Amino acid sequence: MEIPVVENVLKHNDQFAQLNRQTLREAGVRCLNLIGSPGCGKTTLLEKTLSALGGEMPVGVLTGDIATTRDAQRLARHCRAVSQINTGGGCHLDANQVREGMGRLPLKELKLLIVENVGNLICPVGFDLGHDAKVGMFSVPEGDDKPAKHPRLVLESDLLLLNKTDLLPHVPFDLDGFRRDLAAIREDASLLELSASSGDGLEAWLEWVRAFVAAPRASAAPAAP
Amino acid sequence: MHEMSIVQSLLEQVRSFMPGRAVLKDVHLEVGGLEHLDGEVMQTVFTALTDGSELAGAALRIVRIPVRIRCRSCGHEYEPEDTAVLLCPECGVVQPEILQGTGVLLKSLEIEERSD
Repeated sequence: MEIPVVENVLKHNDQFAQLNRQTLREAGVRCLNLIGSPGCGKTTLLEKTLSALGGEMPVGVLTGDIATTRDAQRLARHCRAVSQINTGGGCHLDANQVREGMGRLPLKELKLLIVENVGNLICPVGFDLGHDAKVGMFSVPEGDDKPAKHPRLVLESDLLLLNKTDLLPHVPFDLDGFRRDLAAIREDASLLELSASSGDGLEAWLEWVRAFVAAPRASAAPAAP
Repeated sequence: MHEMSIVQSLLEQVRSFMPGRAVLKDVHLEVGGLEHLDGEVMQTVFTALTDGSELAGAALRIVRIPVRIRCRSCGHEYEPEDTAVLLCPECGVVQPEILQGTGVLLKSLEIEERSD
């Protein structure tokens, strides 16, 4: 005997994501989900971002890792509203973990919440956290083939970053090929090339963040990205 | 590797739909072609998590749903062979809207009434 079901297996995650979206909306907080490989420079970018924007707007960060509170300790030097989420082996953050993390932050005092996902280009892409935008981050030492190998991140990101451009003279990386591969997946992909550590290109990223925070929300809750 | 958490969610869902006096035979699952999920790993996890439970012996039947794209420029719909090359075969523009190919859907359960 067949029992028809037709139900999303990620239903529980998506319900928590919608709750997060509603909570963030009520608190007037815009939320970014930052996704990139381990070592691509997410935490360094956030250190620079917090240090530059801290005087302009209150920013909070939830930082996800399998283990340690090292990232939270690094970021806490630049910002008071930081909380670490340890997944204990989990390869991505889910909406419930983010909900618990949000509960540890002074949400009503914030304008922007950045969720630094667990370093991974694969699993985090499929989980809606309740964010308003997704930022996909690549870096030069990873190689120029990463967009072609991870098309879903390219398709679903509102902005793509290529970090560590200061290393371009030192490692094999075909920048034109990287751009071509992006364009083969999505010719309207927004890409910013920068070096978080040297500061090159950082201002364009900060401008993007400022515009993102200032932009009016869509009237209806966006569909789960 | 998030097959484990997906299969755990799936089994919670399956249990919520199981009538009291029934034996689970098959779980029919649809997995989008853009989902980063390995079917073999899901099978292994499914067996490991059902073994020794009331669901032991059930089979997980996975159907991959192909990626389907609509071109935002000319409206043509197509199924790309390679998800890293999404240009529209009709107009040559790369402005894909994903119509199908994401998500994990529990479609149905096949059960047998318990005879005892």
